[in-house]
Amino acid sequence: MQALVSVPVHGEASFDPQELKEDLLARAGIYRLLSSAFGGEPGAGFLAGLRQPEALAGLAEMGISLDRDFTDPPLDQLEETLACEYASLFASPGGCLPVESARLTGRTQQEPYYEVQADYRRLGFEVRPGRFAIFHDHLGVELAFLAELLGQSAAAAEAAEGRELRRLEKEIKRFWSLHLGRWARGFGRLVERAADHSFYREMARLLLGFAEDEISRLGIRVEDADGSIVEQPQPETEGLTCGGNPMSHDPVASEVPVSLMTG
Amino acid sequence: MLKMNRRNFIKVSGGTAAAVATAPSLLKAMETELGGKDFSPVTYGERQAIPITCHFCNIQDGAIAFVENGRVVKLEGNPEHVSTRGRLCAKGNAGMWYSYDPDRILYPLKRVGARGEGKWKRITWDEALAEIAQKLDAAIKEDPNTVMLKYGRNRTGGAIDRFMHTLGSATLVNHTSVCESSKKIGMEPTWGPDIETPNFANSKYILNFGSNIYEAAYFHNPYSQRIVEGTAENKAKLVTFDVRLSNTAGRSDEWIPVFPGTDGAVALAIGHVILRDDLQDSDFINTWTNVTVQELKAHYQSYTPEWAEKLSGVPAATIERIAREFATTKPATTYTYRGPAKHLYGSYNEKACMMLPIMTGNIETRGGYCMPRGMGWPQPEPQPPKPAKPSYLSHPDEYPLAGHKVSHLTPFWIAEGKQKINVYFTYQDNPVYTNPGAQAVWGKLFRDEKLIPFYVSMSPFMGEETALADIILPDCPYLERWEPESMPNSLWPWLGIRQPVIKPLGEARENRIILRDIIHKLDPDGSRGMKQYWNFKDGEDYLRHHFDNVPGLKEAGGLDFLKKHGVWPIYGKLDPATGKIVDKTGREIVPEYGLHKKEIPEAEMAGTTIEANGVIMKNGKAIGVQRNGKNHVGFPTGNRLINVRVDQWAEYGFNPMPTFKRIPWHETMKDDELVLTTYKINVHKQSRSAAVKWLAEIMHSNPVWMNTVTGEKMGVKTGDLVRVESAVGHLVTKAYVFEGIHPKVVAIPTAFGHWEYGRLATLKLKEKGGAFGAQDDPDLKNVWWDDKGVHPNAIIPVVADPIGGSQGWYDTVVKVTKAGPNDKYGDVKGDWDKHQEAFKETLRYAYTGDLHRKMHPEMSAWVGPESVKHKPAGGH
Repeated sequence: MQALVSVPVHGEASFDPQELKEDLLARAGIYRLLSSAFGGEPGAGFLAGLRQPEALAGLAEMGISLDRDFTDPPLDQLEETLACEYASLFASPGGCLPVESARLTGRTQQEPYYEVQADYRRLGFEVRPGRFAIFHDHLGVELAFLAELLGQSAAAAEAAEGRELRRLEKEIKRFWSLHLGRWARGFGRLVERAADHSFYREMARLLLGFAEDEISRLGIRVEDADGSIVEQPQPETEGLTCGGNPMSHDPVASEVPVSLMTG
Repeated sequence: MLKMNRRNFIKVSGGTAAAVATAPSLLKAMETELGGKDFSPVTYGERQAIPITCHFCNIQDGAIAFVENGRVVKLEGNPEHVSTRGRLCAKGNAGMWYSYDPDRILYPLKRVGARGEGKWKRITWDEALAEIAQKLDAAIKEDPNTVMLKYGRNRTGGAIDRFMHTLGSATLVNHTSVCESSKKIGMEPTWGPDIETPNFANSKYILNFGSNIYEAAYFHNPYSQRIVEGTAENKAKLVTFDVRLSNTAGRSDEWIPVFPGTDGAVALAIGHVILRDDLQDSDFINTWTNVTVQELKAHYQSYTPEWAEKLSGVPAATIERIAREFATTKPATTYTYRGPAKHLYGSYNEKACMMLPIMTGNIETRGGYCMPRGMGWPQPEPQPPKPAKPSYLSHPDEYPLAGHKVSHLTPFWIAEGKQKINVYFTYQDNPVYTNPGAQAVWGKLFRDEKLIPFYVSMSPFMGEETALADIILPDCPYLERWEPESMPNSLWPWLGIRQPVIKPLGEARENRIILRDIIHKLDPDGSRGMKQYWNFKDGEDYLRHHFDNVPGLKEAGGLDFLKKHGVWPIYGKLDPATGKIVDKTGREIVPEYGLHKKEIPEAEMAGTTIEANGVIMKNGKAIGVQRNGKNHVGFPTGNRLINVRVDQWAEYGFNPMPTFKRIPWHETMKDDELVLTTYKINVHKQSRSAAVKWLAEIMHSNPVWMNTVTGEKMGVKTGDLVRVESAVGHLVTKAYVFEGIHPKVVAIPTAFGHWEYGRLATLKLKEKGGAFGAQDDPDLKNVWWDDKGVHPNAIIPVVADPIGGSQGWYDTVVKVTKAGPNDKYGDVKGDWDKHQEAFKETLRYAYTGDLHRKMHPEMSAWVGPESVKHKPAGGH
């Protein structure tokens, strides 16, 4: 995937304010696109906009190829289809919640939820209820948060406020390092495989590619932990036990704990 | 010179033990913290403690939720709670995972595929309520009774009834017939209450019929504490009759295996010995019951130990010994749960068991068999009137005595067209899993859009029933709800609350709010007269209506007191040395005994008349009993006496006296046939816990228990695959062969083998061509087991006790064979047509059925079903 913008310059006022502003706003636009795609069921206006030739062409140039299941159906039918696909993938039991707590801890509203909430508050944001209530650590919200920070960065760039730019860049790096970077790529891979519809498949590809690019651009190193909780040693499950341990092992060494013997 | 030797030590030590016991102990085991406080291991900061009433299962333990940084991080017992005294069971400790389950339903969902196909669309509350209101409007205009609501666990404190009454529908059906209804019906006409509250801690002899009280039965946490006190501190003897070596039986002084359904015969034979040998409490019988000792002696004459031995397999000598021990050890009590009651004639069994404390005078005594103590609360005003028309499904004609309904026969009655249903609601109910027939019966009903045109499930989870709904309304798990509580789980009555520990997640709403919102949508301007009954702001406001005017509690602060303490009254402090509640002087608090002996105040006696049998009448109602010149309140029955003879039963051709009926199809069992029973374990409840990860890890599979002798006969050993086949279906599971079960019984615990209820219960995600897999899921990544168990209910046919209406869970005859080449682990098949045949067969035992007379030759004088007119029974 091609770089969308140039890497910000770190020296005091050693950048072209206008060029940097445009770069930052362009990146913010991708965050917003992804936030809209994953934040809830896509609305008719959003879908109609995406189906405009220039939008499709831009996406295609980036390597995002939406199939005829996205381009051909009547708009209301597409909206309905994607609403059902969204519910199946992201908003009903058995799917994969696009929520950091769920992806990293296996349960909703855990530490990441409160951590990102604190970040939002600290930087003057709060989650706005949309058509549906949404977790603070929902992918759509986390992406929207970074889009806002990039928007602020663009304003700082335009005003040539280097200190403010650095502060915001630090926040963005920190958020990727502590949150999005830990799950967005793995989640993108999962959705790419799981989606039936080309819209979610391609948005997942965009999420993955963009996340990799952003992490590289920001110069951070963060392992994706999505769905990769450390596996526990597999105990022997064959056979039924009741009040004793019939698992077979060398009786001579029976005083040695099995765990040590197999280690 | 002192003689210091072992012999003298023993002699002196033994001889002085009693004296030493009276002296104060100068040391005790160290207790660092009694509970009620908790600290973060990271910050050392004290966690916020919020008292609640646990609702993992239905014991209703006092609990505390600890919250740290907005998250519920721990649950433990509330040390101020008089019943549970700071202890919480394994299930209660795991309760927060209900709230945080990633498979929880967080938004209203509308079905977009075929029923059960698993295709949903997220809709707004407004859209959901509008559609429901439109369907309700049409249904009410046709006939309010076409709106049905069936609940499993209803702890709303009256909100569900209010909802249905507001709609004008009487089609409100509970789950009690698959629970313990025949126990209730066995007891209620006899002494009033539907359950006993034994004073185990002070008892000397506990006779337990078919209750796994140490791990699963009502009220296992508070009662197991008291039984341990009784057996360890008070040296009580615990004797358990059970078909299997449950954890309770295993920790009893004696486990006496009994053939399923014959506990009643054993109890009658014990009674026979007591009466034959004049070991009864004649004074109690003659004073407080509606029969004489002579009548009882005559009635019990035929119930000999030898007769019971033939039926139950319990040796006559054992019965003789247990009878003498029970009658001569005071105080003593019995306890029963589903073992005796869940049979074709479970009500008779229960009645026979409760006769033992009655005839020995152990009623309402310290250490004896006491009445439950509970507390009530007023309902918010105004209240909707009761529905004008009765509902067949609520009070079926064939079961006039089944005051707790016969809900497990509902699918067949709906299929027969006994009552039309337009809108069907479920609340905390999963009959597709929990009822006899399971998916073969209830799954078929819910899939049939002609029989159930519109189905709304109020549920936080995609249970087997919710998966078949048209609209799902996301209900809150218990840590997010307001609810009033009281349970007779000790001898001290209490009121408690459940209060939200965290705000509802997603768009979940607590049930009373859902119901209010439906009514407000149906009657937005109040012109239909419905909205007036739902005039409250939120759950807390609703509870203020309940609690702010309860005498005593009002003075203590009403709901605000309960918000702070979780329970009222606070009877004392938990003593760290004993784990018991003590008063200000340090003495253990003592309950009130002898409730029936309380005297009626003189002022209330004005205008009363005394009948020949001493019953005190006022305004056409019995208010007490006069004995030896004293006016006692007596028992809460129609005549204030214990009705050993239940005349109402005789009206319908049932034996009004304690009796036993053998299950006819057990009499004709062949050598290779066995009886299948089910049971619950300590870390799961009936259907709603398999997705709770801490518990699923502890227990997730359920091999069929089989006796060693039985296994040897079949060549089956532990771990072998076996096919279990009943008249209505078959399943394939693994065997667990050992000696802890009656040789003619096989047993499979429930709570396993889910095909819905989330990823942990089913051990799979949505399988979209393998796109979702364990490798992608943080929960399943750590799941080391690959066995989810096998659910037996599809092969269990319906059986209804013609008196109490209970399902005969433990009556199923099966053949067990080694699995064949085409059998694979987890196969379960039930057949609707065969289940329907079982339904028709069980109706033959109803008072209107052709087998009723045959089963009751002693009632030959009964005119017949045409002699009585069906009237809706009581019960609650």
